[in-house]
Amino acid sequence: MIRLENVTKTYKGDVHALRDASADIQKGEFVFLVGPSGSGKSTFIRLLNKEERPDRGRIWVAGKDIDTLSSWKVPYLRRNIGCIFQDYKLLANKTVYENVAFALEVIGRPKHVIRTQVPAILELVGLAKKERNRPHELSGGEQQRVSIARAFVNRPLILLADEPTGNLDPTTSVGIMRLLEKINATGTTVVMATHDRSIVDTMRKRVIELDRGTIVRDQIRGVYA
Amino acid sequence: MALRVDYVLRETASNLKRNFSLTFASLITVVVSLSLVGAALLIRQGVQNATQQWQGGVEFIVYMNPDASQDQIDAVGNSLRENPEVADVEFFTKDDAFREFQDLYRDSPEFRDLVDSPDILPTSWRVTPSTSDPQVIEQVGQQYVSQPGVYTVAFEQDAVEALFNASNALRNGVLVAALVLLVAAGLLILNTIRTAIFARRREIEVMKLVGATNWFIRVPFMLEGMIQGLIGAGLAYGTTVILNDVIQDRAQEGQSLALLDNFFVSGSDVHSTGLLLLVVGVLVGTVGSGIAVTRFLDV
Repeated sequence: MIRLENVTKTYKGDVHALRDASADIQKGEFVFLVGPSGSGKSTFIRLLNKEERPDRGRIWVAGKDIDTLSSWKVPYLRRNIGCIFQDYKLLANKTVYENVAFALEVIGRPKHVIRTQVPAILELVGLAKKERNRPHELSGGEQQRVSIARAFVNRPLILLADEPTGNLDPTTSVGIMRLLEKINATGTTVVMATHDRSIVDTMRKRVIELDRGTIVRDQIRGVYA
Repeated sequence: MALRVDYVLRETASNLKRNFSLTFASLITVVVSLSLVGAALLIRQGVQNATQQWQGGVEFIVYMNPDASQDQIDAVGNSLRENPEVADVEFFTKDDAFREFQDLYRDSPEFRDLVDSPDILPTSWRVTPSTSDPQVIEQVGQQYVSQPGVYTVAFEQDAVEALFNASNALRNGVLVAALVLLVAAGLLILNTIRTAIFARRREIEVMKLVGATNWFIRVPFMLEGMIQGLIGAGLAYGTTVILNDVIQDRAQEGQSLALLDNFFVSGSDVHSTGLLLLVVGVLVGTVGSGIAVTRFLDV
């Protein structure tokens, strides 16, 4: 589903965000990216989404070599990839329902599809009762669940999560992880960058550890360190 | 992928409302600049109408008597052609004269219909001299006044010349001002769109993330610029029509120079000028927003 081959990415001033990284992630896998701040976790994720381009190396996502993908096809690539972030990136002037519906609306899904899909996904993340609320009226955990609903409403093949529990307390984080596991169980590949030792240690999924841009460990049923 | 019409219209309308002051500023600039363009074009059209007989360097006209014989007409024509001071001669038949008359007075039907047949109009020779010296031209023309069959010789008046020069200068000045303002209007529209893009950067970020196509993101902004250009041009159209009516009223009340009696612009001239303004307005709006979208949208 995802394949990196000797990928190197350097930012201005010789900062190596990723150095000769190779990895192969199968369909339906759940993978943690761990490592200290600045080790290249976010770059890894942004490369998969084609928000960044590698300096060297090749990347395949969902069967496509994304470096040769022409720019007008990038939006269609992104429809196969859901993304969630530490800061949720919800639109403050839209309700929960509208935030999720927006993701379908802007890729041209017909109204009747939106009317059935959005309530179903809000039910799945447990926010059916809050669909009329705005993001600022919700707790952090609830906001993250809205953003997961938005990322997953189009049933993507891959879900990329960049520190999704970074702003949440441990109890709420467990809830979010349950939700991601549920999504993973539907066959969606999940790649999650995290700092959270206890989450990684309790879930025992595949762990890829990065250190200053280099993959130093790739372990099935791994722990944080 | 089909763009959803209701989505595009909703987004465009909310952008226009959100940036009301900037939208208003660009609108006013479009109106003023396009009104000036319209005025300049109408001045040109008006002068052309007022001086139709004197175009292409024609300096004097030898009018024949309506009942002049063909021999008399040919004699004058041959003599003109052989004259070394004459560069070009053109014969105007009764039908030509009738057509010109109809054209000249098409907006005053009462007067126009007084002449209902080409037969009562004189034929004429339109003469372009090879010299521009007014005294030589005067002398050449006067030779024909006493020829048999000649009714009269009419010279281009100094006033016509003066009107030509003054109107050309006026038109050019107005056109330059209009062009400068048009560029300003384009830049203002560009900045309005840039502000709209900035105000909606979070939404644009999310749209890119979930895979909205570039055109889907661009179109509402481009439409916003186009609408500003279109509304501005529409208002300029109205201004031009009103301006033309006012001038025409003045001219008919006889408050202006006698020469301006013919200085009118017909309805169809005004409307074709108006259509041109609409096209230019839409073009300026679309180009301005197009540049903003490609420079600041980064999609």
